[in-house]
Amino acid sequence: MSAVTDSVFKKSAVVRAARATRVKIIVGAVLTLIVVVPIVLARVLPVPDPNAQDVFLRLAAPGTEGHLFGTDQLGRDLFSRILYGGQVSLLIGVMAVLVSGVLGVVLGSLAGYYGGKVDAVISRLIEAQLSLPLLMMLLLVVALFGSSIPVIAFVIAIANWPEPARLTRAMVLVEREKPYVAAAVVLGVKRFAILLKHVIPNVISQAVVLALLLLAQAVLLESALSFLGAGPQRPFATWGRIISDGQDFIGSAWWIVTIPGLVIAFLVIGVNLIGDGLQQGSVGAAFRRLARSVTAMPGRK
Amino acid sequence: MTRTPTGTGPTRRAVLGGAGLLGLGLALTACAGPTGKRDTANTVTLALNRSLVSLDNKLNQFDAAVTVQRAVRQALTAIDEKLQPALVLASAFDQTSPTEWTVQINPKAVYSDGRRVTVEDVKVAMELYQKVEGSFVAPQFPEFPEVIDQGSGKFILRSQEPIVALPWLMSNILITPAADNKAAELNSGVGSGPYVVAEADTGTGNYTFKINEKYWAEPKPTVETVYVRFMPEESSRVTSLRTADVDVIDSIAADSATQLQGWRDVVVESVVGTRFDHFFFNFRKPKNHPLSDPEVRRALSYAVDGNAIANGIMSGSVTPATGVVPQTLIGWAETGKFEFDPGKARSELERLGVSNLDLTFIWESGEFPQDAATMEAMVEFFKPVGVNVKLKQFEPGGDISKWRRGEAGDWDVLGNGYGNQTGLALTTLQGMYASTAEQAKTHDDYHGFIFPDIASLVRRASAESDEAKRNGLMAQAQKKAWDQTPSLWAFVPNAVLAHRTSVQGLSLTPINSYDLAKVTRA
Amino acid sequence: MFRYLALRIAQAILTIFVTVTIVFLLIRLAPGDPAYAYAGPLATAEQLDAVRRQFGLDQPLIVQYFHFLGGIFQGDTGTSYSFRQPALSVVMDRLPYTITLAIAAIVIAIIISIPLGVWMARRQNTGREATASILTIAGQSMPDFWIGIMLVTLFSVLLPWFPSSGFETWGGLVLPALTVAILQVAVLSRIVRREVAQTLQAPFITVARSRGVAGAGLVWGYGVRNSLVPVVTALGTRFAGLLNGVVVVEVVFGWPGIGSLVVRALETRDYPLIQSTVVVTAILAVLVQLVVDLVYPLLDPRVRLGRKVVS
Repeated sequence: MSAVTDSVFKKSAVVRAARATRVKIIVGAVLTLIVVVPIVLARVLPVPDPNAQDVFLRLAAPGTEGHLFGTDQLGRDLFSRILYGGQVSLLIGVMAVLVSGVLGVVLGSLAGYYGGKVDAVISRLIEAQLSLPLLMMLLLVVALFGSSIPVIAFVIAIANWPEPARLTRAMVLVEREKPYVAAAVVLGVKRFAILLKHVIPNVISQAVVLALLLLAQAVLLESALSFLGAGPQRPFATWGRIISDGQDFIGSAWWIVTIPGLVIAFLVIGVNLIGDGLQQGSVGAAFRRLARSVTAMPGRK
Repeated sequence: MTRTPTGTGPTRRAVLGGAGLLGLGLALTACAGPTGKRDTANTVTLALNRSLVSLDNKLNQFDAAVTVQRAVRQALTAIDEKLQPALVLASAFDQTSPTEWTVQINPKAVYSDGRRVTVEDVKVAMELYQKVEGSFVAPQFPEFPEVIDQGSGKFILRSQEPIVALPWLMSNILITPAADNKAAELNSGVGSGPYVVAEADTGTGNYTFKINEKYWAEPKPTVETVYVRFMPEESSRVTSLRTADVDVIDSIAADSATQLQGWRDVVVESVVGTRFDHFFFNFRKPKNHPLSDPEVRRALSYAVDGNAIANGIMSGSVTPATGVVPQTLIGWAETGKFEFDPGKARSELERLGVSNLDLTFIWESGEFPQDAATMEAMVEFFKPVGVNVKLKQFEPGGDISKWRRGEAGDWDVLGNGYGNQTGLALTTLQGMYASTAEQAKTHDDYHGFIFPDIASLVRRASAESDEAKRNGLMAQAQKKAWDQTPSLWAFVPNAVLAHRTSVQGLSLTPINSYDLAKVTRA
Repeated sequence: MFRYLALRIAQAILTIFVTVTIVFLLIRLAPGDPAYAYAGPLATAEQLDAVRRQFGLDQPLIVQYFHFLGGIFQGDTGTSYSFRQPALSVVMDRLPYTITLAIAAIVIAIIISIPLGVWMARRQNTGREATASILTIAGQSMPDFWIGIMLVTLFSVLLPWFPSSGFETWGGLVLPALTVAILQVAVLSRIVRREVAQTLQAPFITVARSRGVAGAGLVWGYGVRNSLVPVVTALGTRFAGLLNGVVVVEVVFGWPGIGSLVVRALETRDYPLIQSTVVVTAILAVLVQLVVDLVYPLLDPRVRLGRKVVS
């Protein structure tokens, strides 16, 4: 008989840690799905047209007949606008993450694998970008090149590529030293092929976690751009613009500002929780330690 | 290096500590303290919805600006609450022949630095107003009279054709010392008004005025300092008014007005205005473009639900137009009503062979309250009619004026407001509907609306001294203009002002301005 | 050690160069006539021609670039046409306000996040810590403009405790600084928690405990002190980022700093002003980061002595 009973076991740090991680992932997933699923299914759900105006029912409170979240200043259903606006925001977010992910993984792998000058150039670019006044530059680009969805997605992608690049570079640096790579070289496999077939697949799984966190950041950035008026032109209903327009009515129709903000918060919290949970898992921890030992550029955390 | 051999040199900790203190000190000196609460004892703060790019109206003039501009600079006359010209810098302004007006400059009139107001100043001012490109005021003159100095402050304004409305028109020509005047907007400088400019920040649109000690007229101003701030966000204006950070705000939508009316310390004043807010078609289109056909424009106008806009979005704070100028103006003639009939719009467009029409609507933020919402509503109005509307919103101070003058992108409908500071229908007619091909050469025409027969009717009206005949000519001009359907839809907004009860003496005229010299602080 | 310093400084200069070049290229390569970028949208044809000659806009890009760089070295980054003053002086007039806001926010963040992070580290994996953890995640997940609007509605409109905009009294600093601080607290406290938790598992802690050091003394004297290095560097990095990250908050609160200045400049297409703001912000951020990097060796002997850092 062991002195370690079930109840003692349950209270141990390891078990509690594991449970906490599970809870985080579950709660995170629930929050994320609560927001994302209705958005994705918006067209099949029985919601009114987001642009359908009912000018004499404007600024109706949540819970009014047929309007779960109330209506805005033109009588448009807020719930529906949040869903469709979410489609635009998510689309931009996903596009941005894809582009920055691909760009980051490619550049990071190149830097990590080939080292030397390639690494030097790419690392310097990463560092330079981290110090740029990003939001200002984004606003400048949108002011110069217009505020269409591709431009905004591209611009956010450029803002976010350093993170996946750094991570990939670190992963690749670790992988590069592994015996199987040496074996492949000995067997005559071209270096580039090694990179493509062996190294990258091992890195992708960690990159997925990062992609989630990038998505959260992209959504926040897009809503800030829309709020400042640099988002997609009217009448697109992006979350940031709904909040910005709603400011005029904060005394009489507080829901126009409050609810979209809560939706953004839920989505981002959910995604962050999942990312956090995955990072804290035992697999994540191992990767983290390795990554930190290699990415230790002094002063950067 | 870590080595600290036996006490020589500072320890690492000391260096760190010293550096830390130095850094802290540097950081604190780089800070800035508060800008200082304005001493509210004898000040009034106005918050405008549009940035006052200058204290001059050579280029632009929006209603709320009039109050502020006239506080610093004056004209020969001013329009009172009965929409009649009152004498200001002029002590006499009489018509001595059909084409001549004799004016006497008030001998007491001096600028804030003591210089007298002279005939030369008037002459130079008139010249400079004509020189500015894209001016708002200049096209309101059918022609600019010649200034003929008669000595001792007396001069004659002589024109080729009689200008019946000259006393009204001259209220818009602000007088500055000739030596300081330029063919551009002035942002500070000297004027003869009750206040002088203490600080002018054109970038943020914030100005500070102080009492002009040498003010020559009555009543003398009593409020020591006037702050003018630019707050484009309506919610900021409303909040600041409630928290007493600001004393007077303008251009508020009906929703905000309703909110404010419940508030004890705030008074909302509303008066039917003289501004014409409209959705003007771009008349600079090639002949074969659908918008060049007046029947197409008429068909498009059937798609707009004016009732929804006026009573829904604007909560009844505006009156739909029943003519081509506001019904409050002297000389207005009713020419028709806007109809709402989407079915007819659709069938008419089909009949005229117009399909898959794409229209671009442009406007400047803050043109009228709820402008963005109205534009979004327009997109919806046109969907069932088969017209696809794209919106392009401009921020104030941006490049919309290039677009409006046809020097940038292509657009189809412009959301615009044409203020009227004379109270006469003639002025709006002249400015909006009487453009000539000459003006088109310098892009000073009103968005390409050039119809020589209408222009000549307006010209004749402005020279006609017999009132009945004049009204007849104006009515004809208005009818012809209406038949062209120049606007998709139009309305006349109420001039609305909200102020704290501690500020009094604000008598709002229909032209949406008031005399700052009469304002008092309780 | 000197190699490290030289590397850092070279890096900083490179970053500034890159930023300046990007801004230059963006404005020149964008659609539209760049002459308007200097003369303003209301310019006449003669003014445009004058501008073209003055800035050599009809000359090859390389020539323009060197002209532009030369101007920066002389402290001339163009004239803002909406302010009718040299753009640089407009920016420098407003910079102190942004610095004030950033410093206030960082101070609040330090005061709250360090104790909070330590508290969370000591109670890892308990219910209370989990709640705190979720709260910190929430703090960095809410859009900052939304937080700002909510705070204004609560503490300025409903409860008239603080001004809703501007910086006329010190009270006007509270709400904007809080808004910015919330995000920083969330991020920093998590970093503190992670570092302290990790340090507390190190062998030397066990040794200290075995010698009788316990409780708060152990945590703060041994644990926190040794975790400070990454925390301080994170602080520095965040402060550098704050200088441009407060743009949205400045707009919401009408704060007279460079964030609201650049938004206004973008709206009025005042490109000389935009250029100047971006250049100044980049230089400042890079300088702050450089200072942090220079201080780092003083704090961590391992770096100073050139050894690899494995944390």
